[in-house]
Amino acid sequence: MSLNISIDGKTCTCESGEFLLEVARRNGFYIPTLCAHESLSEQGCCRVCIVEIVSGERSQIVVSCVYPVERAIEVLTNSEKVKALRGMTLALLQKLAPASSLIAGMCKAYGAPELPRLEARADDDTCILCGLCVKACAQLGTGAIAAVNRGIEKKIATPYDQPSATCIGCASCAQVCPTGSIVVKQDAQERSIWGRTFTLLACDRCGVILDTTEAVAYAATLRDAPPEHLCPDCRKQQVAQAFVGVYGK
Amino acid sequence: MPEPEKNVTVQDIEAIARKYPAEKRFALAIMQDVQREFSYLPQPVFEVIHRHIGTPVAHLYALATFYKALSLKPKGQNVIKLCDGTACHMRGASNLSKGIRAALDIEPGESSADGLFSLELVNCVGSCALAPVMVINETYYGKVTMESLPAIIAEHRRASCEDTAASCETEVVA
Amino acid sequence: MSAPTHPSPQGSKRSGEQAAVEQRTLLVCCGSGCLATNAAAVADALAEQLALSGFDALVKTGIKRTGCNGFCENGPIVKVMPDDISYYKVKPKDADAIVASLQGEPVQRLLYRADDGKRVLRHLENPFYAPQQRIALRHIGTIDPESLEDYRARDGYQALEKALSLSADALISEVEASGLRGRGGAGFPTGRKWRTAVGFETACSYVVCNGDEGDPGAFMDRSLLEGDPHGILEGLAIAAVAIGAERGFLYIRDEYRLAQQNITKAIAQTEAAGLLGDDIMGSGRKLHLEVVRGGGAFVCGESTALMASIEGRLGEPRAKYVRSVQRGLWDQSTVLNNVETLANIPWIILHGGAAFAATGTEGSSGAKVFSLVGKIKRSGLVEVPMGSTLRHLIFDIGGGIKGSRPFKAVQTGGPSGGCIPENLLDLSVDFDTLTANGAMMGSGGMIVMDDHDCMVEVARYYTNFLAEESCGKCTPCREGLRHMLRILTDITEGRGQAGDLELLEQMGTTMRENSLCALGKSAPNPVLSTLRFFRDEYQAHIHDKTCPAGVCPALTAFSIDAAVCTSCGACVKACPAGIISGSKGAPYRIAASGCIACGSCREVCRFDAVRAERKLHT
Repeated sequence: MSLNISIDGKTCTCESGEFLLEVARRNGFYIPTLCAHESLSEQGCCRVCIVEIVSGERSQIVVSCVYPVERAIEVLTNSEKVKALRGMTLALLQKLAPASSLIAGMCKAYGAPELPRLEARADDDTCILCGLCVKACAQLGTGAIAAVNRGIEKKIATPYDQPSATCIGCASCAQVCPTGSIVVKQDAQERSIWGRTFTLLACDRCGVILDTTEAVAYAATLRDAPPEHLCPDCRKQQVAQAFVGVYGK
Repeated sequence: MPEPEKNVTVQDIEAIARKYPAEKRFALAIMQDVQREFSYLPQPVFEVIHRHIGTPVAHLYALATFYKALSLKPKGQNVIKLCDGTACHMRGASNLSKGIRAALDIEPGESSADGLFSLELVNCVGSCALAPVMVINETYYGKVTMESLPAIIAEHRRASCEDTAASCETEVVA
Repeated sequence: MSAPTHPSPQGSKRSGEQAAVEQRTLLVCCGSGCLATNAAAVADALAEQLALSGFDALVKTGIKRTGCNGFCENGPIVKVMPDDISYYKVKPKDADAIVASLQGEPVQRLLYRADDGKRVLRHLENPFYAPQQRIALRHIGTIDPESLEDYRARDGYQALEKALSLSADALISEVEASGLRGRGGAGFPTGRKWRTAVGFETACSYVVCNGDEGDPGAFMDRSLLEGDPHGILEGLAIAAVAIGAERGFLYIRDEYRLAQQNITKAIAQTEAAGLLGDDIMGSGRKLHLEVVRGGGAFVCGESTALMASIEGRLGEPRAKYVRSVQRGLWDQSTVLNNVETLANIPWIILHGGAAFAATGTEGSSGAKVFSLVGKIKRSGLVEVPMGSTLRHLIFDIGGGIKGSRPFKAVQTGGPSGGCIPENLLDLSVDFDTLTANGAMMGSGGMIVMDDHDCMVEVARYYTNFLAEESCGKCTPCREGLRHMLRILTDITEGRGQAGDLELLEQMGTTMRENSLCALGKSAPNPVLSTLRFFRDEYQAHIHDKTCPAGVCPALTAFSIDAAVCTSCGACVKACPAGIISGSKGAPYRIAASGCIACGSCREVCRFDAVRAERKLHT
């Protein structure tokens, strides 16, 4: 079922059940986000992508990334209320991740108040506890990291803060991290992440780095096939050559 | 650091896990049973449960740190749960905490050097009309006062010493 | 039967003498509260004495271990039926006197002493029970929670039978007509919830009983689960019949062992009796119920977190734009009701929604159970019609403040509720009035505070609780609580700064508007409500570095007024630091150093000789 909604005065068409953030983006409205990721399921926890929904006298603040549009609504993406709440939320995030340049930039861009009275958690921290890394790792099926403890003690870690036996060093967690908080050290032979060092595997033909030995082996178990030691390009060439061998003359 | 009461083997934990069907939803129940049996979750627990129900070790570990009913550290033979629910707080639970510290030299979350006691500050045990309330093992003590506290602790110390012939020469007459 | 007037303990027909000699039953309250004060030993001693007395040859006697009577502070409680005599604070050694009294006069010394000093014979004459109207608690304290027969003898499972004969629509209409709103805190209309659930067709549906009672200071759910397990099961079964669910879960707090035991036993009894299980009362419908032990997380009282926990995941809430009735447990339509809500259901089905709606106020029908605790003379569980005033609850039923100190505030609605000051004591207690005044109904905890309670410390206490119990998923709740706690700690320790109060309000607003779940949205309430009504107390801490209530140790020094001290020595025994000295006949004194300013001496002093003063920092 199609619906017409109003975003900052502009009429936008969407399907019932579509998330508001997607509708807004499609129609050219920029709403800042941190914990939203197109390929990872809904979270709605950073609370930065808020918008105001007005219907008559009533107004409601909702998180656009997980808010399904189900009726004709009037949306304000940048009302005074939104600005104030988003500013304070970003200011709180900055106290959590004072070393993050992304958060610092957003604070500046969205007029977050400076709150010298509040103490930062640790000067060098960049993690905003958005949980995307945990989601990515879980989605992959490895589940090597998790949100440990709860409330104000919450952190992202491996069990007992020890190098994880299940981690395959694929660095998917680092790729989805919005603040670049997960430390990955890599040279031509090795990659270190979450306290463990992995040997990197290179393409048998061209030598380009594929992934860690563990990640290549893990991908193979998912496909139920022997590990692939060729990069995508070389693999294509190999297939092409095989075809040439069969059909070519 | 107190010694764990019993030597926990992987087989012990497996026996507990196997009482439950291999479904993800039983992770918490299995851990609670292990906790009850051994007074904490020894490290192999997570691997055993993972093998049984498939939930990743890290996620099980996260559950263990999320729920207050579970502990990664061994607890003392006698677990003192001092209620710090509102009614108890208003009626002097924090003073009792100081009293316990004076008697056993432990803070909430710690175990005594002899391994006989550990202290937990818990949120409301639902006996508010008897505030302040203290629970040692499964026994409830209502309207605990600084005066009645030493006798309650001494009673449990005596019982433990009789049970296990544990070294009780450290007994302090409170 | 029409609307409840007074609870009528069945069998208490005292009109004729003939009933009295045929059968006597001694009801021993074995709720957790009374068990803590040795009720089990009392029951054993009574059994022993009964056996010795040979009284059984004359009349048939029995001992029944019942659930919580709610008046735990005066436990263990023993009731003699059908005479309806209640004894309080009974000790095992009193057993012979009680057994002897069965053939003679009541034991005067064990009767309740009312405010005017008179001894009260009957349960209903006790000022604690007299004004109560018990619907949810109707069976508590009169039935044996472990006996299915006892429950069935009191109309048990007749409501379920009636529900099975009704169409789902008629059944839900009855609940809608009652106006029953959820007793767990949010106050959502129960009938409407069921109706909405029926509208969503998923592969299957579930019913869930929320027994994760986590509000410190509230224990009505515990009492119900322990004392009337079949009442809860029947309510849950009716919900299942209404929405067509075949499976249900009872999520019960880990700490509530007795509740888990009694419910588990009750489930087995109903399945064996064909009341639940594969064929509910011969209707061809199925309902399988399971107990799930909570893991010890306050946030799991939130419905989506609770469901995540049942599924074996972290108990973190999700955004509820899509409600659980549509997408709940394992993404199926799920109806979740609180224990007390369910306890009302069988009564409503048996007596009709209109009878229920006749009690209470227009927006909040029925009666509500409150746990009245704190600095109050008579504390315990009470059930009164919605719309009663706070004054009635605290002063008439609760008997006023302990030690006749001045009333200061009552905290309602659990940790994320609010504190209500004296000038609002005539407020009607219902969902909407409390919310409009910055507090909330919550699950019904009422913590009464006197002039020795510091409201800043109270706010710090609750904020600390919430900071520990927040799941930590969303930014405003987790970070807001982190900083609020730090600032409140600063204020109570004399490090408060100008501008702190405004900052607390600013963060509080962000938390209220922008947190993910109900816990986060209400987490700033303790701070915001105390700032609203007790702002001067905050200011005294910040600007004058003084704690007017004499509670915050960093700002308070105690001394003993020599002119008032009777040298009774109570303070010496109470002092954890052991720094009070003196001798009989001379006033006691607190040593200049070593005092931890805990205030124990002041609490125990019956002569008001201990003074709290501003601590002078050198």
